[in-house]
Amino acid sequence: MMRVKLDDTLLLQVEKPAKYIGNEWNMVKKDPESVEVRFAFAFPDDYEIGMSHLGMKILYHILNRREDTYCERVFAPWVDMERLMREKGLPLYTLETYTPISEFDIIGFTLQYEMSYTNILNMLDLGGVPVLAKDRNRSHPFVCAGGPCAVNPEPLADFIDFFVIGEGEEVIHEIIDAYKDWKGSGQDRNAFLELVAGIEGVYVPSMYEIVYYDDGTIMDIMPKSGKVPDTVRKRIVTDLDSADFPDDIIVPYIGTVHDRIMLELFRGCIRGCRFCQAGFIYRPVRERSPEKLNELARSSVEKTGYDEISLVSLSTSDYSALPEFCDNLLEFSEKERVNLSLPSLRVDNFSLGLMERASKVRKSGLTFAPEAGTQRLRDVINKGITDEDLKSSVQLAVAGGWNSVKLYFMIGLPTETMQDVEGIADLGFSLIESCRGIADKHGGRGLNITLSTSNFVPKPFTPFQWEPMDSIEVLREKQYHLKDLIRKRTRRIRYQYHDPEISHMEAVLSRGDRRLGRVIHTAWKLGARFDGWDEHFSFERWQQAFEENGLNSSFYANRRRDFSEVLPWDHIDTGVNKGFLVRECQKAYEGDLTRNCANGCSNCGASVYQAGICFRKDKNNSQGG
Amino acid sequence: MARALRFRFSRDERLKYLAHLDVLRLFERALKRSGLPVSYTQGFNPRQKIVFGLPMALGLTSSAEYADIEFDEDITPETFISRLNQALPDGIEVLDAVPLLKKGSIMSQITSAKYEVSFDVPQIMDPDEINGIVISFMDNEDITVMKKGKSGSKPVNIRPLIYSLSARKADGDGYVLDAFVSAGAENNLRPDLLMKALSQKTGLDLSVGSIHRRAMYASTFNEWKDPFEVAND
Ligand code: SF4
Repeated sequence: MMRVKLDDTLLLQVEKPAKYIGNEWNMVKKDPESVEVRFAFAFPDDYEIGMSHLGMKILYHILNRREDTYCERVFAPWVDMERLMREKGLPLYTLETYTPISEFDIIGFTLQYEMSYTNILNMLDLGGVPVLAKDRNRSHPFVCAGGPCAVNPEPLADFIDFFVIGEGEEVIHEIIDAYKDWKGSGQDRNAFLELVAGIEGVYVPSMYEIVYYDDGTIMDIMPKSGKVPDTVRKRIVTDLDSADFPDDIIVPYIGTVHDRIMLELFRGCIRGCRFCQAGFIYRPVRERSPEKLNELARSSVEKTGYDEISLVSLSTSDYSALPEFCDNLLEFSEKERVNLSLPSLRVDNFSLGLMERASKVRKSGLTFAPEAGTQRLRDVINKGITDEDLKSSVQLAVAGGWNSVKLYFMIGLPTETMQDVEGIADLGFSLIESCRGIADKHGGRGLNITLSTSNFVPKPFTPFQWEPMDSIEVLREKQYHLKDLIRKRTRRIRYQYHDPEISHMEAVLSRGDRRLGRVIHTAWKLGARFDGWDEHFSFERWQQAFEENGLNSSFYANRRRDFSEVLPWDHIDTGVNKGFLVRECQKAYEGDLTRNCANGCSNCGASVYQAGICFRKDKNNSQGG
Repeated sequence: MARALRFRFSRDERLKYLAHLDVLRLFERALKRSGLPVSYTQGFNPRQKIVFGLPMALGLTSSAEYADIEFDEDITPETFISRLNQALPDGIEVLDAVPLLKKGSIMSQITSAKYEVSFDVPQIMDPDEINGIVISFMDNEDITVMKKGKSGSKPVNIRPLIYSLSARKADGDGYVLDAFVSAGAENNLRPDLLMKALSQKTGLDLSVGSIHRRAMYASTFNEWKDPFEVAND
């Protein structure tokens, strides 16, 4: 077994060398010779991002609970480290044992963000693993991928041997078991792929054929044999309480983006905002019990020494037992000097009081996500929040001593007009106005507002999956217009916005088809990596890659699809059916709201999983369907 | 039994790639895991009452780091050492501890430190010859180098900060410089700056390898003393 040798000539030449040495508290140590399966969990971004990711912590823990398996971690080395590694001929290695990733049985990538796709190619290459799946043989590891972006696996079909659709906790065991069977059988590589293709939730792209029309749209997606299913249904964990959740998480030496204990209250979201992919692909909502959460909080603090716990879920306020749970948790956290951080809480009297108690730190900033500037557009996206709600929330916050507020919006939403864009500025102005007297009365300074806009990117499995994205020029025009408006009126409002070129590429990759594999491959060969980082992204490089392959990026980003078009991800089934998404899209155009799952079922289809909110007793209507 | 302790710890190759702030964070979490009754400061953002002698630069190994720590309850050095070591990762180890009768003041007490710096030169040289060059380097009354500070670089004469220097052959390849220099909040001489000066002034084309801190001292009445000796001064 080979181990990469690290020394000062490498590690003292790079920034933050502690990213590359492993050996953190709670890192799992096993003898690699004593296990049957070696699994490299790969995060295709920097260590500081990857170590903040809950999914990785969960799967690391679950896999390492198995005596027959050793799961190790690998991240994308930052550019300074990569350069030195290539110079010295060092292969990409795992942090646990410094073993080159080419020596593993399975390498599993998690797909959190489309702009990290080129890092996958780069990591495989740096690890001495053929980048293209078809070039791998029995001596090479299997390369799999999962995570939210895997719901449209097609752009990565050339590079990944198999995908895991949905939540990995249960299916990963079935895959490891299948691997052990195959390893002992002496059969060829394809035999293993056939074996996993039979596992629900596993998609083997090489076993499907895609047929295109001349105009580039898809005619059909066909299984190449009867051994693979027509559609692959995502896997979920039906009961979160019985699912394994780690309390002995690895504690990094260097600061990471989310350097704290993360408690997952529930999975999914009841709200169904029409732009939000997470709100659809994680359906149905399943909660963890307050007892279980309190237990996890206590044991996590004990085993890690962290002094902060963050409640993570898509919309924490929707947790059904929030007040009781928080009371109990606060009692513990105050005693143990642990701070609670509460992102994604709706601001009201209850939550403000909670925040005040939870964290001893200064009242710095509060965030809100109205997402659109006018009521009309908020109705289009099914964001059930009114100007009045916002105004009273912000007033409450200011009265409570908060003086800076950040509001998140999107520009480029379907049906948006310049009036809606201006509405973002108007909302900011009116909030400043409405809080004028309040701050004085409470002895505070005036309110400062940050307005932040991201560019709307239509995503698969949302009601807007057929929508064209705004062109780069239109997005720029909207950004500049907004910037101008604000600058002319007040200095109390700061405006932040995102690079539309990166958003354009994100849109291309998220709704791309299999032909994009060539483009991604070319872009990587031209030097693309860390594309999600402004300083490394080059739009020209991607344009060149499209040109070289005779494809057009606006075909993917800016084209309106017909409801009847075969979409590249139509053979993937997330439980939410297409008919429901069509209805939601049509309701969006009418500005019709759809009730949330706690208020009543709208028959999205996710009740096929027989789990969670679809069958909750306290719901206002009787049953899901 | 005491409410406060001064302790010595080491850091080896495995954790030398941590920056000073990472080491502070590491201790904070290890202390929390240990369940030891560490005292906290009052106020908005309570912090553990622990103070370190000298910051640990990234890349430095050491067998003599010191820190003072306070507790809410009496505790024996033995209990402290064994419980904290259980909660510390491999690569950092508490070696020793003594009771402190009053509040810790290690940071203001430390005034000098001893380093072993391994280095090499492009051509093979007699260690005695190198040592001779090092000694004549010490004969300079003025060794001015540019020192990076918070507000840009400025020239500093580091000669008064050097107490003794000598070079010898290393156990393996290359050579070792034994350096005894000023350290601490007032006049800190970083070994990397010293090596740069040595390289510049002597024309020796040094490539610096590992840097190890093997002692730090407090000075009282012109005497160098072990930090444990002055714990209750
Ligand atoms: S089936 Fe009904 S309750 Fe279940 S997720 Fe869909 S809309 Fe919500």
